[in-house]
Amino acid sequence: MQAGPRLRLPPVRLILQVWPLALLVVAGVAVRLSKGAGVADAYAALSRPFWPGPAQGEWVKQAQRLEDQTRLRQLTADNQRLRQLLQLRSQSGNELLAPVISRDPGGWWQQLVIGQGSIQGVRPGDPVVAPGGLVGRVASVTPTTASVALLTDRSSHVGVWVARTQQHGLLTGLGSNRPVLRFLDKDPGVRPGDVVVTSPASTLVPANISVGVIQSVNGMASPAPEAVVQLSARAGAVDWVRVLMRPGRP
Amino acid sequence: MSSLALRGWYPATGLLVPLLTLASPGFLKLGDAGPAWAVLWLLPWALVDGARSGVLAGLLLGLVLDGLHLGPISQIPALMLLGWWWGRMGRKGLPIERSFSLGLLALLGSAFVGLTLILQLAVVGELQGPVLYTWLGQTLLTALLAPMVCSLQLLLWRQQVSGGRR
Repeated sequence: MQAGPRLRLPPVRLILQVWPLALLVVAGVAVRLSKGAGVADAYAALSRPFWPGPAQGEWVKQAQRLEDQTRLRQLTADNQRLRQLLQLRSQSGNELLAPVISRDPGGWWQQLVIGQGSIQGVRPGDPVVAPGGLVGRVASVTPTTASVALLTDRSSHVGVWVARTQQHGLLTGLGSNRPVLRFLDKDPGVRPGDVVVTSPASTLVPANISVGVIQSVNGMASPAPEAVVQLSARAGAVDWVRVLMRPGRP
Repeated sequence: MSSLALRGWYPATGLLVPLLTLASPGFLKLGDAGPAWAVLWLLPWALVDGARSGVLAGLLLGLVLDGLHLGPISQIPALMLLGWWWGRMGRKGLPIERSFSLGLLALLGSAFVGLTLILQLAVVGELQGPVLYTWLGQTLLTALLAPMVCSLQLLLWRQQVSGGRR
């Protein structure tokens, strides 16, 4: 009787020779399935000294800023077009650059005197903007100067809103560095850090000019909550301001 | 005895008060409040030139300063009263020359001006914010400057007034 073919195991010697190669193959498969994990990381670690310098990163940031500015201009144009369609008040008229020739942000009166007056077309009530946002409104004019009542002045009352929650309120000066925002709603839902801008419903100032940031909220105030606002434009430090001359005047 | 008010450019020195108020130099501030320049000018003026001239000078200064400032509150009543008080004081008794006396009078004057402003703010319902710090800062700063500024003015103006007491 003839015996069948015998199952022959590979010799131990062969296995000892091949197992490193097999391990490499397994590792290769793992790299393949993980989309290059390990290899790319190792390359990144090794090549880090040769990565692009900060200059190229700055170029990218500049390009990003340019893109943001372009987008902002586009959105502003869209906003004006839509407001015209809705027959709302125009957001901007002429602007006039004016030097600050006297400043008294503290003390009994909170005011600036700027070096442009009625000859240049400045009128009482015109909003005044500094780098950072709104600083106040023109209170009185002479032929070549104008007095600006700051947002911190006790006579200042400006309609604003918190854009995140769309809650309206009245920003009132207290004679201190930080005005108080008195909400109209009993539950405004605001929190410290929320940005305050001029209200679209305001007839005194153009809409959506940056005003400041809410610093603290007093929910117990009566009849409605109040918030202390840190102004974004520092009236005590600006040398030049922009007067937003309201349109539709003679 | 001739009046300072009738002498050439001396009344014109009062123009320095609104100019310095507008300039509002930052290094001369305490707690965001500058000195009461009107008090620093009016004190020696009234001491040298008498009560009537002091009241008139207080009125004129108050009118100009109220025109420069916003809001309904006024410095006119306080400055007129101070001009009258200091004018009477200058014409009665011994002449006031010592630095301490000038500083004390300026302190009282500035404190009085501040108090009238606080009272007016309370009347119009706008008494809020750090008025106490402003009041204290302005009063102290005015009192500190008065010995230097007022002494010099007193010296110059008394020399000009014929028959003035030295």
